[in-house]
Order: sequence, then C-alpha cells, then structure tokens
Amino acid sequence: MTAGSFFTSFDLSAFINALILGISIASIWLIAALGLTIIYGAAGVINMAHGEFIMLGAYSSYMLQSSFGLPFALCVPASFLIVAAVGLIIERGLIRYLYKRPLDTLLATFGVSLVLMQGVRLLFGSDPKYIAVPPAFSSNIQFAFINISVFRVVVLLVTIAATVALWALFYRTRFGVQVRAVMQDKEMAASFGVNADRVYMLTFALGAGLAGLAGSLFGVLNIVLPTMGAAYVVQAFLVVVVGGGTLAGSVAAGGATGELQSIFAYFTNDTFARFVLFVLIVVFLRIRPQGLFAPSAKRR
Amino acid sequence: MNLYHNVRAQWLAYLVFYLFLAAVPLVVDDNFLLNQLSTYGVYGMLALSISLCWGFGGILNLGQGIAFGLGAYGMAMTMQMQSQDASNPMPPFMLNNSLDHLPLLWKPFANTGVGMVLALVVPTLFCLVFGGLMFRARVSGPFFAIMTLAMLSAWGTLILDMQPYTNGVNGITPPAPLHLGEFTLDPYSPTAYWTVLGLLVVATVVAKLMTLSRFGLVVQAIRNDAERVRFLGYSVAGYETAIYTISGFFAAVAGCLWVTLTQYVSPAQFDTTFSLSMVIWAGIGGRMSLMGAIFGAFLIQGAQSYLGDAFLNTWLLILGAFFILVVRFLPKGLIGLVESALGRLGRKRGHDNGGSVPAQQMLPQPGE
Repeated sequence: MTAGSFFTSFDLSAFINALILGISIASIWLIAALGLTIIYGAAGVINMAHGEFIMLGAYSSYMLQSSFGLPFALCVPASFLIVAAVGLIIERGLIRYLYKRPLDTLLATFGVSLVLMQGVRLLFGSDPKYIAVPPAFSSNIQFAFINISVFRVVVLLVTIAATVALWALFYRTRFGVQVRAVMQDKEMAASFGVNADRVYMLTFALGAGLAGLAGSLFGVLNIVLPTMGAAYVVQAFLVVVVGGGTLAGSVAAGGATGELQSIFAYFTNDTFARFVLFVLIVVFLRIRPQGLFAPSAKRR
Repeated sequence: MNLYHNVRAQWLAYLVFYLFLAAVPLVVDDNFLLNQLSTYGVYGMLALSISLCWGFGGILNLGQGIAFGLGAYGMAMTMQMQSQDASNPMPPFMLNNSLDHLPLLWKPFANTGVGMVLALVVPTLFCLVFGGLMFRARVSGPFFAIMTLAMLSAWGTLILDMQPYTNGVNGITPPAPLHLGEFTLDPYSPTAYWTVLGLLVVATVVAKLMTLSRFGLVVQAIRNDAERVRFLGYSVAGYETAIYTISGFFAAVAGCLWVTLTQYVSPAQFDTTFSLSMVIWAGIGGRMSLMGAIFGAFLIQGAQSYLGDAFLNTWLLILGAFFILVVRFLPKGLIGLVESALGRLGRKRGHDNGGSVPAQQMLPQPGE
C-alpha cells in the first residue's frame, strides 16, 4: 500500500484508499476466476491448469509484442484467441474423456499444468519477461487524496466489460440458452437436440481464452514468469467456491473477498490478511456450503 | 478367484516387500545413499496416508503438506531446542530477528517429550477441526480438494511471514541430530533407516487392518456412494473426519521422521507442488492399494533423483505427461496392471474368473 506509508495510524483517507485498492484486487481476482467459473459451472471440471492458462496468456502477449511488435491493445484479444485455441486442443485431446470422473479431471489438468509450465520454461527460459504498455497506462491517477495507478483502472474496466459480455452471451443468445440447458440437465438438453459435447468444448475454450485475457493484463501488473500462474489460481478457486459456480456468485464473491483482503491488509499486513480471509472462507463454507449463489437445481 | 484380491497373498506380498527393504542396509554401505533411501521411506508413508484418505475414503486431499509440514516444524523446533541450554536459551536466528526472549510458542519444545507429542498432536488436531467443519457442512469432492489447497497456501504464507518465530524462508536447521536420552539417532546410519522402515511397516499394518475392519468397509462404502451410506444411518461426516484425521496423523509422523533425517525444514514443505506430488505418487502407483501407493512414491522419487539429472529440464514435462496418461488410461495406477495380469493368469488356470469382470473393477474389494 503506497498510500499507507504517509499515515501512521487510522486515517479516513488512507482507509478509503484501501477500499479503492480492494475494488482493484476484487477485479483482478474476478477476471482470474471468470474462465474458471464458466468451465466449472458448465462442465463441472475443476481446471487445475487455469493458472498455467493465465501464464500462457501473459507469454502470448510478451511474444507478440517482442517478436512481432504488436501494440499492447491488440495483444490482449490475440492472447484470448491463442489460449482459447490451446484450451480447445486440450479439451478435445484429454478432458472430454473424463467428464464422468470429476476428481480425475482435476488430476489430469494438474498434469497438463506441469507440462505447460515446464514447456514454457524450455521455450522461453526461466528469467522474468516484461510486457511494455503505452506510457499513459503506467502513470497514477491523483484525485484529492485518492491515488491509484491507471493500469489498475484499465484492469477494472476490462473486467467489467468481460463480465457484461459473458452475461449477455449466457442470457441473451441462443448459445447461452444451450449452455444453461446443459448446465441444468445434460441428458434432457441433449434429447432436445442440444449438442452437449459441442457446448462443453466451446465453454472450455472460452474459459481458457478468458484466462489468456487475464494473463495478458497480469503480465503488465507483475513480471512474466513460468510459475506466475500459481499466484492467482488459489484465489480464483476460492472465488468460484465462495460464489457457488455461477457468474453472479463469482462477481459477488470476488468483490467481497477482494474488499475484505484489502481491509484486513490495512489493519495488519498482506500475508496475515490472506490467512484470516482463508479461515473466514472455511467458516463461511461451514454455514453455506453451496456458496453464495448456487446454480438452480434441476426442475422436474 | 484373482490372486490379487486374496488377503493372505496380500500379507505375503507385504512380508516379502518389507523383508527385501529391511535387507538393503546389509548390502549398501554408502551412508548418503542410505539416508536418501530412508527419506524415500518417509515419502512412502506420505503416499500411504494419501492412499488411505483418497483411495479408500474417496477424499482427495491436496493439502497433506499441512499435516506433514506442521509435524516437521514441531520436530525441527524440538531438535533445535535440544541444542539450546540455560546460557544460550534462544536459537541464533531469533537473535538476528531482534527478539530478546524465547517466544511463548517455542517454550514447550524445550522439553523433548512434550515437543514430540506436540509435533504429532497439533497437526492431528488441525485435521480433526478442519475436517470436522468441512465434512459436517457436506463439503466434499472437488470443493474439499480446493479448500485443502487454500488452507495449505494459507499456512505456507503464515509460516513464511512469521520470520522471527520460524526464520521465514530460510527455515529451521537444527544443528545436531535427535537425542533421546543417551541415544543419538544418526540420520546417516542403518539404525535410522530401520527406524523409518519399522514405522512404515507399523503404519502399513495398522492401515491394512483398518481397511479390512468394519470401519474400513464403511469408509469404502462412503467412497462409492455417500448418500446410500447416510440413508443406512451412518454418520458420514464422522467417518470422513476420522479417516482424514488418521491420514493426517500418518503424514505428521512422516513429517517428524523427515526432519530427523534431513535436519532441515522450510516453508517449501507447504508448497502446493509438494502436496500435489504426494497425490501423483499415490495416483501413479495405485491409490486403491496401500502397497501400490508406497511403490509409486519410491518409483517417482527414485526416478526424479536418478533420471532427474539426465533429464533436468524435461523431468517435470515427462512426469506431467506420464501422470496424464495414468489418469486417462490407468485409473487404478500401475498396480492395476498387476491386478489384471493376475486376473488373466487365474482365468487361464480355469478358476472362477469373477474377480476380473470389468463391471466390478472399480467396486471395493474387502482386501484391496
């Protein structure tokens, strides 16, 4: 907390800054969790390779920028497409055989994460890479006592845009109706002519693509490393678990956990805040194991 | 009848396996190699604990490193305090972190007996409380796995952060081996090897008897259909908590042994990679077989030590790919190959081939 160093004790303006930082943390966790949410929500797959998909997104942006000189604004959608393609290949080659064994998808995707991480390490080396952004993004916004970096605002805006786009896709298109039908009852949807296999394939690719999008942004926030995925994956999982696997749940859970993390961190420090937050989540799940907004049960 | 499911044959296999392992120090006089083999015994015990929890209980635990790490820290603190005395009451790293007296957290570890008991009781209690909370809320399957992963990461960051008490990322390196009264356990001696092996044998026998008992059968029934067992009137949460806690206790024992062998512990023991590799050992060896899981640990760790140097850059790639193949094609692990081979053998001899009907393959066998 940069603002925290100016103040020694509780201070309203510093606290408000912590709340604003909380929104930023929430947007980062949410965008990391979006892809995971739809993959879990639609297909029930716990994708342990999600962190590595994020890492692939960051490396795609780095590669496109350093080798082909693509401007950053184009790297972000390009990373989405590249990682979505990787996700598609993995779904066709491996995941589709395991849909009936949820714990095994978890293990198989962990194997995938090992392969991706080591593969990237072999290709790019284990030294950190950096993604350059236009200078306007690397400054800070100073408004009265509020102080936040422009890029964090960009991340927040991209997160809002991605969430709204997903919502529109799920609730305003024919494909969305099919996905929701498969989520509620795969057999019934299939008997009404929905190609469930294709829905699973496309949602997996979409989820992977969203991870790629998140990765291209995280690559700017932090350095790009083969191991960077691990830093986001646990929080992303918690957002999904607390939210209950629905889009609305993830938005609420991302907001709540990010904000709490920032508030606890204001009173203690980042690490201890994380510990308290995790313990709180365990207690929360004791009271509400299905999460904030669990998907509606099958209607018969 | 498939010989693989014959309980007497299984006990015989354990006997041969452990007699063979017990004879190793008679032919190996390289002390460093012996120490390394002893640590494999510790990994074997971890794989055994995963097999109990995941293979028999159906509870995938990605946070076994918590019980292992807490046990290891408890033991490391005990051994560290053995090197301190009245004139020099504090471990050196605390002085570097500007503490002026021994923190309360460390006081009980000054007594070796109390310290060792704490090293086992604290992780077991943690599993009891955490497991109880989760299972009573009916958090199960992948959600439980995620929560164990989150808890692991929480503990790891906490221990990393409490620099003055835990020496942060550097960990604790007790300067001397463990003393028990007059006796000193030299980690590079055959005695240490036999101690580890002896405890592994005890753990295996206890685990095996447990899986054969009424308790073990209920646990395996829960793995196959928790709802049905609940409707029969059993406390599913109680049984799940019990098997998770027992498994955690074994992991804590492994943690204590590991520190006596390596005289070192650090937050790396709370790494997700380490906990996940325990699952990989059990998965590759065969999670539904205690011996399969132990063998998996030996195989993977051995390969990592010996092939790891030759394939330094590609080892994780190979391991990941191999693991994917096992999950995809051999859900019962490598030991599943032995099972089907023995099943085929039994059929050739014209015996009853009921044990190798494919539909029964994933169902519990009392002696499995």
